[in-house]
Amino acid sequence: MTLLATATLKGPHVDFAGLSPLIALLGGAAIVLLVGLLSSKWARAQLVPALSLAVLAAALGLTIWQWGEEKSILAGALRIDDLALVLNMILIAGGAATVLLAWRSRAAESTAHGEWHALLLTSIGGMFLLASAQNTVLVFLGLELLSIPLYVLCATGYSKRGQHQERSLESGLKYLIIGSVGSATLLYGLALIYGATGATDFSAIDSALSTGNLATDPLTLTGIALCVAGLCFKASVAPFHQWTPDVYEGAPTPVTAFMAVATKVAALGVFLRLFDVAFINAQTSWAPAVAVLATITILVGNVGALGQSSLKRMLAYSSVAQAGYMLAGVVVATKLGVQATVFYLAVYVAMNMASFAVIVARERETTLGDSVDAVAGIGRDRPWLAWPMTISLLGLAGIPATAGFIGKFYLIDAAVSGGYTWLGVAIVVGSMISLGYYLPVIAAIWMREAPAGAGQPSSSSSTASAPTPKAGALPALAGGSPELDSDAGPLGVDPSVTVGAPVQPHAPETTGPQPEVLFVAVLAGAATLFFGIIPQPLFNLVTHAGGALSGLF
Amino acid sequence: MPPLSILIWLPALCGVVGAIIPSLLKVGARTTETSAETGAASADEPGASGSAWSTSGILALIGSVVALGLSIGYIADFHSGGPALQHVTDIVWISTLGIHYKLGVSGLNVFLVGLTTLLFAAAVLASNLRSWERPKLFYFHFMLAESAVLGAFLAQDLALFVAFFDLMLIPFYFLIGGWGREPDRVKATIKLVIYTLVGSLLMLAAAIATGVLASEQGGGHITFVLTSLQALPLSKGSQEWIFLFFAAAFLVKMPAFPLHGWMPDGYRAMPIEVLMVFSGVLSKVGAYGFLAIVLPLFPQAAAHFQVLMLLIALASIIYGSALAFTQTDARLVAGYSSVAQLGFITLGIFALNPQGAQGALLQMVNHGLVVAPLFFIILLLSRRAGGSEDIREMGGIAFRAPVLASLFLIVALATLAMPGSSNFVGEFLILLGVFKAKLAIAVIAFSGVVMASVYALRLFIGAMHNRVGPKVKSRDITVRDGLVLVPLVAVILFLALYPQFALHRSESSVKTAVASAHLALTPLSPQSTASITP
Amino acid sequence: MATTYGWLVLAFPLLGTLVIAFGFRSLPGRYAGWIGTAAIGLAFLAALGTLIALQGHSPSHRELESSLWTYASTVGVNARLSILVDPLSVYMILIVTGISTMIHLYSISYLDEDRGNARFFSYLNFFVFSMLLLVLAGNFLLLIVGWAFVGAASYLLISFWYRRTTATKAGIKAFVINVVGDVGLVLGTYFIFKHTHTLNFLATFKAAPHVFAKGEADIVAGCLLLLVGACAKSAQVPLHTWLPDAMEGPTPVSALIHAATMVTAGVYLIARMHVLFELAPAAQDTGAVIGALTLLIAGTIALTQTDIKRVIAYSTMSQIGYMIMGVSVGAYAAGMFHLMTHAFFKALLFMGAGSIIGAMGGEQSLEKMGGFRKALPFTFACFIIGGLALSGIPPFSGFFSKDDILLVTAERGGWHWALYVMGYVGAFLTAIYTFRMIFRAFYGEPVAEARELEGGHLHHAEVPTNPANGEVEDTDVGFPGPHHTVAERAMPMRVAMTVLAIGAVGAGLVQVPGVDDVIVNFLRPTFASSPLYEPHTKDGLLIFGMVLGTVLGLTGIAIAYRIWVKQPSIAVTARERFGALYELFVNKWYFDELIDLAVVRPAAAVGSFAMNTFERVFVQDTLIGGTTGLVRAGSAAVRAVQNGFLRYYAALLVLGVAGVGFYFLLQA
Repeated sequence: MTLLATATLKGPHVDFAGLSPLIALLGGAAIVLLVGLLSSKWARAQLVPALSLAVLAAALGLTIWQWGEEKSILAGALRIDDLALVLNMILIAGGAATVLLAWRSRAAESTAHGEWHALLLTSIGGMFLLASAQNTVLVFLGLELLSIPLYVLCATGYSKRGQHQERSLESGLKYLIIGSVGSATLLYGLALIYGATGATDFSAIDSALSTGNLATDPLTLTGIALCVAGLCFKASVAPFHQWTPDVYEGAPTPVTAFMAVATKVAALGVFLRLFDVAFINAQTSWAPAVAVLATITILVGNVGALGQSSLKRMLAYSSVAQAGYMLAGVVVATKLGVQATVFYLAVYVAMNMASFAVIVARERETTLGDSVDAVAGIGRDRPWLAWPMTISLLGLAGIPATAGFIGKFYLIDAAVSGGYTWLGVAIVVGSMISLGYYLPVIAAIWMREAPAGAGQPSSSSSTASAPTPKAGALPALAGGSPELDSDAGPLGVDPSVTVGAPVQPHAPETTGPQPEVLFVAVLAGAATLFFGIIPQPLFNLVTHAGGALSGLF
Repeated sequence: MPPLSILIWLPALCGVVGAIIPSLLKVGARTTETSAETGAASADEPGASGSAWSTSGILALIGSVVALGLSIGYIADFHSGGPALQHVTDIVWISTLGIHYKLGVSGLNVFLVGLTTLLFAAAVLASNLRSWERPKLFYFHFMLAESAVLGAFLAQDLALFVAFFDLMLIPFYFLIGGWGREPDRVKATIKLVIYTLVGSLLMLAAAIATGVLASEQGGGHITFVLTSLQALPLSKGSQEWIFLFFAAAFLVKMPAFPLHGWMPDGYRAMPIEVLMVFSGVLSKVGAYGFLAIVLPLFPQAAAHFQVLMLLIALASIIYGSALAFTQTDARLVAGYSSVAQLGFITLGIFALNPQGAQGALLQMVNHGLVVAPLFFIILLLSRRAGGSEDIREMGGIAFRAPVLASLFLIVALATLAMPGSSNFVGEFLILLGVFKAKLAIAVIAFSGVVMASVYALRLFIGAMHNRVGPKVKSRDITVRDGLVLVPLVAVILFLALYPQFALHRSESSVKTAVASAHLALTPLSPQSTASITP
Repeated sequence: MATTYGWLVLAFPLLGTLVIAFGFRSLPGRYAGWIGTAAIGLAFLAALGTLIALQGHSPSHRELESSLWTYASTVGVNARLSILVDPLSVYMILIVTGISTMIHLYSISYLDEDRGNARFFSYLNFFVFSMLLLVLAGNFLLLIVGWAFVGAASYLLISFWYRRTTATKAGIKAFVINVVGDVGLVLGTYFIFKHTHTLNFLATFKAAPHVFAKGEADIVAGCLLLLVGACAKSAQVPLHTWLPDAMEGPTPVSALIHAATMVTAGVYLIARMHVLFELAPAAQDTGAVIGALTLLIAGTIALTQTDIKRVIAYSTMSQIGYMIMGVSVGAYAAGMFHLMTHAFFKALLFMGAGSIIGAMGGEQSLEKMGGFRKALPFTFACFIIGGLALSGIPPFSGFFSKDDILLVTAERGGWHWALYVMGYVGAFLTAIYTFRMIFRAFYGEPVAEARELEGGHLHHAEVPTNPANGEVEDTDVGFPGPHHTVAERAMPMRVAMTVLAIGAVGAGLVQVPGVDDVIVNFLRPTFASSPLYEPHTKDGLLIFGMVLGTVLGLTGIAIAYRIWVKQPSIAVTARERFGALYELFVNKWYFDELIDLAVVRPAAAVGSFAMNTFERVFVQDTLIGGTTGLVRAGSAAVRAVQNGFLRYYAALLVLGVAGVGFYFLLQA
């Protein structure tokens, strides 16, 4: 009794208001998990997603309630400021979209819905932590909380049927292994930082680095180096990106969508916090390195995406490239940079969600899976799918009148005024290359006929018995990589791994109308267009976020 | 006059409306584009006409014609007093980035706007004369294109200009890719769009750099408004690399040798109605950019790279002409001829004196006025030559087509800048400017004048004269086609009789546009300043 | 007042053009022809009006300007739509409208059968309009406009029978060479404008003596370039090759454009620019030499040609050589005088040729003609008159004008004596080739066609062919029409030829040395400033020249008679003896071949190289293929690494970490 009392007395003051969004999420996760145990099919299939939406809505409400707060809670371990809150909102948007996309997906079904959504919510919780972490320990904690559920989610596509599901399991495993390496690297780096500065708290690290020559101390620098590497894994920055295409392609499409947007948001959020707050005084030493990494990423991502027959793979590479763009905002370490990054994150979520929603819809309607043929010719009879995808792809390419253009404009602006003009040029060069893979998809949508039989899904039995390429026989870790299915031949790789015809037969998951997917697609597409023409509201939002980081100018 | 925004957005609006409301009239049979080409030949026979009209097409026509009316109004309402902007609209678009939605009419763009609306009206009318697959979408993109082009001409804010400049291309991407001619229209389209956007994206970076560096210069808040940017000149060093980026964008768009690689395939694939505006108007945006943006903003760089640019222009003239008189595809004759013509325009601009610039500006309008009807005539010829656009398969068409022949003759003579045409006045001023700047280059450039007469007449004779081609069925121009062609020819004749109409409206703006570059060219020589204000 | 008439002179032909052009569907039969003729006739009356009105002014005020509206006035260039009415331009418009009226009249019958009848007359009126614009222009810009219009009109008329590939070829050749001339004119204008800062003629002439030093580089360059323009238009060596081919056009066209008016534009230009040329002696001398060379070269070629129209064409070249030489050495009045007389007799000769060709059913080769003396008495008479005038036999007009030119040339002294000699050699040749033509066509055994005609029936080829290359005519359109006519049978033709014949005989009398010099006095106001103008005649030389000219002419005719009438064998033996020379002449001194070798082939080669090689290899493969190839290579590399094997990923990953770490340690 007294022990307990003293314990409570000793414990730090907890600002539950500040924590409330996080609490809502995690609590919600628990509830969803429990509801998922209900026996009624309806409850699992319909109630659970509805509840998850409700939870996200609650979190959003609480976030908005906290708007304008400027405080450190849990003894300065977490910081509740506009940057964190804006990132939370973006994350919630991404999460909600994911839930909608997953509503009818077999992934959520094969793992009983409860677990699936609970994992999703937990992962978002981890991202919340990252977005406001002020302490290296919490950074790591958040990172793990983010990753571990994702490892599982990636594998949820797995079931006894079909080679695609094999892929899902494989991708989960790959993600687990590489992700763990990443986390390890980051952890090591944080440890070295602690060793050098004797602090885990960002502000403490900052002040430590500001004094004396600690900023150029080998120990510190090694630490920073490892942190860079570690975070680059999560943000899939070249040369630490290689897991991305395989995992994105293997994972169930809703999960891919979630990873593509939410993980990026979280990772870049940490990048901003850690490098623009904790390591700001070492900026001269890390900025050039990150700039180079960004350039490499832009180039690798864009050239990699060329000529991909799988849309998910294409978007995976494009997400790599986009990460490169956004790093530019981190590099310059200015308010402008932060704002540009956050702005781009927001529009990035919208643009990707639109595309992924269309992919999900077509995966369910056709037997062509996520190959480009699946969207061929939809401009003729499916305008509500064709337009969102077109707009989002144009946006990703940075064409005017889309939010993507404004975002790139903002990033280049930040880069140039931060003295990194060449990085700005790198961004536009990247965009040029990116036209080489976005435009053909648009061409497929509007200028090609739909391949025969793509429109009406054939019965799942037929696809089940459909001869699947020998890739099914692959050892999971050998990794069937469809890179080699397209024009570039296998350079010195043993031919046994060449797998996958460009079009792999998939059983259409559900037939019939799917209003929620359509809703996501149209909403995201509309947002892309709207913020491309009237971006000011978004600007006001991110201006706050930029203001949150003191110490920048 | 109503605000410029109405002029800009009206076409797009009509396009949207036309796309949304279902067409009331029955849309023509779903023929594919290529069969429409030949099918139109039979549809061109009196009697078999009519079925082409679609609601969206008519709406588009109305929109473009009203836009034409408005732009004529702006020309009539234009005060040729000084270089000041007129009918200015200035709204803050993105305050955070200092981007304004600023539009204005000046002596530099007023006639180009007129040209744009005129050619679009003609092209839309021409498109209405045949039936298109998915007409709603077709006219939507067509009208969107007009709005974007008008925006690019009227924008008085660098970022806004860049935005419109890039946006321009997207509707054409859909138009060519969706309604172009096989084979490999899609490939040609993607090549064209990527190639031309490459330059534009470089320009995007350069434009942002301009804004940022200028604001650092001024120490003030970042802005992209042209007038305020001119007030904050950049250092020569940054001017030079920025200039190169802009030049890349504009030279590709023109296109200038050797950056014309996208042109042949693209032109071959384009529906001619689209080609009319693409070649007539889009190329001018590049030239306009040099005159209205590059010279005022980066005068020292312009002076520094003058010789380089003059040589590029010269190469374009000679190379374009040489190819124009070796091609047998009528489209490509016209295409390469415009490479040469744009070479002349560039030549005039980079003479960096008022004569050259004035000539270049006039020539922009003239070239648009001749090349659009030229392409339309090629369409009519191909219909009379059994669908072929190869000169070798035409011939003898003039027989039974005296009116068509006369119109073609006028256009052809204007194309080769026959003295008495307004094109000649333009060329006269251009070459006079170059003559003052760099004598040798002017002398060589004259070879282009001679070659022009060769390829223009070769085209005319090959199509109209000599023995009758194998599949040729000669018949005269129909009234509907005449509606497209005659107004354009009428404008050509008007300007031929009274080029002063255009000259005195643009003079003061042109002078101010080149003034600083001219000074940068020869900082201390008195006669340079004298020749600015003779 | 005078200027109002001047504008009227311009207005009537233009009006005629438009009326015929727009009314071509509703104009049956000969109406187009009559309208066209009437328009030009009215223009001639207006020209007379101008003359009278101008004479009303005192000699010092006979340079009148009038302008309608500002054509182009910007950035220092100032050109109004203005005409200059002074004795020179009035003299020219009188000749142009006068001769043109006759030729229109002639054409009414000559092209009666042609389906392109209306088109022909609207072109022809347009040509007259352009020519009048050229001579009335009050500033350089308008002069260039008229200059180019004339070229275009000539192109249209040369390729009038556009189904004949030979015609279209000749047309484009003529047009392009004329454009070369235009370019010279424009560039020359630049050189002058650069200093005078005005395009207006009177202002330029006023300013020139002050801004240019005599023989200064820029003025010489300018005048030489103007000379290029003159040579192209007046078919002077080496820009003459288009004129013989231009004979593809209908015969009245050859008569009007390629003999009487257009080709004399160069002469007019030099006379008009005399103020400038006198400031550039080098240019003057060049002009004189070119003229002399042309008159000899053309004369020699004319000796050997067999196409009757080409013979006359070459004689035209040679006669214009005289005029160019004349105005270049300062014999302005004489040059213009010869211009007028030549217009009469050369147009007459062409009309006669047209008549014979009609009789031959379209055949133009002298080889196939002969003995038309009885069949075509009227035509024969006209030929004789024209021939004598051309050969400079007194009292025919050519006699006075030609000798006048040579006289003034001689008076310049020095090396001009060489020109003097060449001139008389040319005169001798002229007599020979002229009468060679006449004798071969009218003497000797009557050919079948001639007999047929004597029998009262006009020959018609059953299958009409193109005389130039024998290809069968396309009978739809663009073909002279199945029917021909001869002067003897068509009143309009006979009237026109009679009038011209009278001119050919009498025109010389207006300026008989020692008796009267109307033209000198009339033109004096224009050339008032010229020191070279007043011919201070050395009577001795004058007499000598006249006698010499007459003697040479008569000997020439005698020789021709001996060779081609008495014993034709001489021609053959002569041909064999002077084989090389004959080859040179009959191949027109190989000018076509030279130009082909020097200009056409290289241009074509460049073009095909650009199209077949450069465009593909450099523009497409290197520029585009190179960049895309680079990107593709990068893409391939990325794919190669992305092989799906975790072990490879791990390796790259370690490398990456190591690299980053290494970089950071460098910072320490």
